[in-house]
Amino acid sequence: MLLLPQLRNRGCGFFISLSMLHIDRIRPTYFEESACAHSEVWLQRVNVEPGERIQIQAPSGSGKTSLTHFLYGMRREYVGSIQFDSVELKHMNPDQLADLRLEKLSVVFQDLRLFLESTLRENFEIKRQLTDFHPATCIEEWAKRLGIGHRLDTPARLCSYGEQQRASIIRGLLQPFKWILLDEPFSHLDDANARKAMDLILEESEKQGAAILLADLEIVPHYPQTRLLRL
Amino acid sequence: MKRPSFHIIRPLLLTGARSSSRWFSYIGLGIGVLLLLLAQQLYIDIQALVKQTSIRKNGFDYISITKQITNENMGRDNRFSPTDLDSLRQQSFIQGAAPLTSNRFEVVATAGDQIPFASDIFLEALDNEFIDTVPPGFDWQPGQATVPLIFSSDFLEMYNVFAPSYGLPQLSMETASNVVIGLRCEGQKGGATFRAQIVAFSDRINSLLAPKEFLDWANLEFEGLPSANASRVYLKTTDANNPDLLQHLTQKSYRVNKEKTAFGRSKQILQGVIAGLGIFGVLVVALALLLFSFYLQLMVARSRDNLQLLLTIGYRPDWLSKQVARRFIPVYLAVVSAALAATQLMQYGFHQFVMYNRPELSSLLHPSVWVTAIVLTGLSIFTNMRMVRKLLYGLS
Repeated sequence: MLLLPQLRNRGCGFFISLSMLHIDRIRPTYFEESACAHSEVWLQRVNVEPGERIQIQAPSGSGKTSLTHFLYGMRREYVGSIQFDSVELKHMNPDQLADLRLEKLSVVFQDLRLFLESTLRENFEIKRQLTDFHPATCIEEWAKRLGIGHRLDTPARLCSYGEQQRASIIRGLLQPFKWILLDEPFSHLDDANARKAMDLILEESEKQGAAILLADLEIVPHYPQTRLLRL
Repeated sequence: MKRPSFHIIRPLLLTGARSSSRWFSYIGLGIGVLLLLLAQQLYIDIQALVKQTSIRKNGFDYISITKQITNENMGRDNRFSPTDLDSLRQQSFIQGAAPLTSNRFEVVATAGDQIPFASDIFLEALDNEFIDTVPPGFDWQPGQATVPLIFSSDFLEMYNVFAPSYGLPQLSMETASNVVIGLRCEGQKGGATFRAQIVAFSDRINSLLAPKEFLDWANLEFEGLPSANASRVYLKTTDANNPDLLQHLTQKSYRVNKEKTAFGRSKQILQGVIAGLGIFGVLVVALALLLFSFYLQLMVARSRDNLQLLLTIGYRPDWLSKQVARRFIPVYLAVVSAALAATQLMQYGFHQFVMYNRPELSSLLHPSVWVTAIVLTGLSIFTNMRMVRKLLYGLS
């Protein structure tokens, strides 16, 4: 795949960034090495290239959510190395980590993590206003497209789990990103709604030239993956 | 990072924690700042008042000493020689020593026609530095017809006790100051008559003080002798109760007139009380800031999930802590301003109604009190910012 070098100003001049994610022989500290023997991620070297669509297929208990949390910098109970653009994730301070999440790395959590007392619109705005990368009209458009347009002014706690899941996907897309982590993103959606959500994710990722890492129990049929990794 | 509006995340924070704990900390801070500012202003007021009533005291105690007269040394010369004075001055706990010199010629004082009074008197002189009330112009030059005198308040009181029995009028301080006294000086080498006027009263020195220049000149002029060795010496010391000083004086068999140090001691005690009030104020401020830190911890603990989620979705802890801390700046400003206003009001009341507008005091606060208020505001804002920052970085 062609790697497009990008020019980035980091305050002390310009340098070339390859927008690469390197996962180097990581293993949760609470997993025995023997338990990782057949994994294609744990204790392996995985390079994620721009625009790649990776499917991580993982049965329950194999550490799918742990992997998402490690990659998103939320937990550090692992050995090995994760590098975004050659910067070690474990060495980033809280503000650098915030910048990574703000500009390059997005996520859709399995447990959704919405502000339950806020309306869906407020949830979206809290994220959108951080970067102003997308116009406010995006919110209406995408919510309608995923079938939750009529719920925008409803507090999240009053929405069904399926509606919250679609809201969580929209929130994940309301920022610039080079990588998006999806942890069982369609677990509470029917096929039709899952397909609509998938289309939106693919469309936005392609626009931004971003890589997708989708982790699920089974292979997601409507996900046009370019690589399958078994955890 | 673009600056999102705090408005949208505000409902997610600053909720849950009971407002009573917040108000307690505000009130505590206000009281602490008030005590601190008040103590500072009172300290400055007392300095000004003490300076006025006791010129050149400057925080020193002044005590007078004489040689102990016993059956054994009676009849000997019990005056202080220049060697005795030098020995005293060399002690580390004595900051100065001045002899109370006296006249060697005869002096007769008359009070003119209005008060038929005439008496042999004695005159003494002391370095101005050692006199508690030195009015301007308490000096004398050869050829000057009027001699200014400082009169002991005790002597005036004594005079007023006995005056009626002798058919003499009782005198107030003001009247006594206006009486023109005739001073007839007579010695072996000649004599002269001067006019004298009481220019001040001394609480500390039991004597009739003339300017040192006059006494030195007159002793030489009328008696042909320099001022004799003094039998009384005044000492300047930082602490009249210093055990080393007292031990030294006892060793030398010197007798101390302790009563006259009372004013110096009470001034120290008063300053001590004010300093204690100031320290109490500092403690209350510290306690209030501590209480506020508990409130912040409680607030962060209750909004913990929301704050953590904001940090998770990309909010910088740096920006978030600034936003949260900034909310409290107006509160701190208001609290310190209120304490400053209350201090100003109290100072005005103290000056106008307790001190009856004395010129040495001001109804307005001293500039250093303003500086303290500004420093306290800065300190509160700084500690608050640090606290919020620490708490939020702890979450990320």
